[in-house]
Amino acid sequence: MAEIVSPRVNSARLADHVGQHVRLTCKVLRLTGSAAIVEASDGGQVEVRVPIKSPIKDVYIEVVGQVVEPGVVKLLNCINLGDTLGKSYDNSNSYCDLKIVDMNIVDFVVEKWHSPQFSSMF
Amino acid sequence: MSQFSQNPYYDKAGGGGGGFMDGSPLGGSNGTPGSSTRRGGSASVRPVTIKQVLSATQTHSEADWVIDDAEIGSVTVIGQVISIQKQATNIVYSLDDGTGRLEARHWVDPSAMEEDEEDPITEDSYIRVMGTIKSFGNKRYINTSQQRLVKDHHELYFHLLDAMATKLILERGPPHAPRQQPGSSPIKAEGASAYSAQSTAVTNDQFSHLPQMQQAIIRFILSHPQTDDGVNVGAIARAVGGSANEISAALDSLLDGGHIYTTLDESHYAVSQ
Repeated sequence: MAEIVSPRVNSARLADHVGQHVRLTCKVLRLTGSAAIVEASDGGQVEVRVPIKSPIKDVYIEVVGQVVEPGVVKLLNCINLGDTLGKSYDNSNSYCDLKIVDMNIVDFVVEKWHSPQFSSMF
Repeated sequence: MSQFSQNPYYDKAGGGGGGFMDGSPLGGSNGTPGSSTRRGGSASVRPVTIKQVLSATQTHSEADWVIDDAEIGSVTVIGQVISIQKQATNIVYSLDDGTGRLEARHWVDPSAMEEDEEDPITEDSYIRVMGTIKSFGNKRYINTSQQRLVKDHHELYFHLLDAMATKLILERGPPHAPRQQPGSSPIKAEGASAYSAQSTAVTNDQFSHLPQMQQAIIRFILSHPQTDDGVNVGAIARAVGGSANEISAALDSLLDGGHIYTTLDESHYAVSQ
C-alpha cells in the first residue's frame, strides 16, 4: 500500500524527487503573477509555479507541491508560516513572537530526514 | 536525566512538547535500575512520526504497541490538518506530516458545552496531538487525549529532532556524561539489552554517569553472587585499589545516592536492585 508521503526537501534535493510530491519550507523572495521565487533552507533558489489565485500570504511558507524539474515546483498547497513584518528581536517579548523561521534548523532536519540512519522514521 | 539538562531544545519556552520527555520514553532510566519497569508504561509519551505509528507492531490485540523494539505507552505526533470531521461524539483530524497520513480521533462528551477555543484548529494548520495507538480492522488511528495548535513553527522541527534523538537513545542508551573516561564504561550496542527485565549483568547505562571509582565498586559487587550478606568492604578495597579514604568517600557517595546499601553491618554492601 503506497503511503501518501511528501518528503521535506531543500533546493538541492529536488532533483531526487522529480514528479513526486514534496514539502519545501522556504522564504519568498519575489512574487510574479504566475510564480514565486523562493529561497530554500540550503540557500538555493526555487521557482514555485502558483495558480491564479495564489494562496501565498506570508514571507515564510511551506510549499506542498509536485516537482516539475530540478529547481521548479508546482504548488499544490501552501501553508503560511507567519510574516516578518512586525516584531524584531529588540521589540519582541520572546522568541516565539518572532515570525521568522530559522532556516539552519530547517536544513538540518531536511538533511537528517534523508539520512539512511532514520529511514524507518521517514 | 542528566542527558536532558544539556539539551538546548528542552530549555526553549515555546516548545511545550519538551515537558513530556520527563521520565518518558526511557521508562525507568531515572535511576531505578534493574526492576521490571522496562515496559513502556502508560505514563510514557514518545515523540514519533506518522510513518512510525503506521509501522508499529503488536503481538496480539491487547498487547502494547512496539516501535523500534521499544514498547509504547502513548505517542505524540505533529502534523498538518488535512481535514476535520466533527461528529456528535468525536472529532476526527486527518493529519499529514510528510511521512504518511493518520487519523487522530478525539472523543468529546456530547453534553459538555462547546467553548470557543482560543486557538481554533483549522485546515492546513499544524497541530500536536498526544494519545494512544489504536487499530480498528486494518485501519490504524490515534485516540487523542489532547490536541493543540502549533503556534511556533519551530516546534515542528523540534518534534522531528526529538523523535530522532529518542530513537537513537533507545537504540544506544543515553549519551555519555562528558567527564566520563572512554575506556571505563562501554555502552552496550543494543539499547534493548540495557532495559531487559531479566538482565542481571552489569547494565552500564545506569552507572555510566558515576565517577570511575564508584563504578568500579559497583561492578565489583555485582560480579559476586547476589546474596543477602553483601560483599565485604575489605574485598572491595583489595579489588578496586585506591586509598582507604578514597574508597570510604566513594562508598559514602554511593550510599547517599541509594546505589548501594549496608547488609550485615557497615562493612558489607550490596547494590540496590
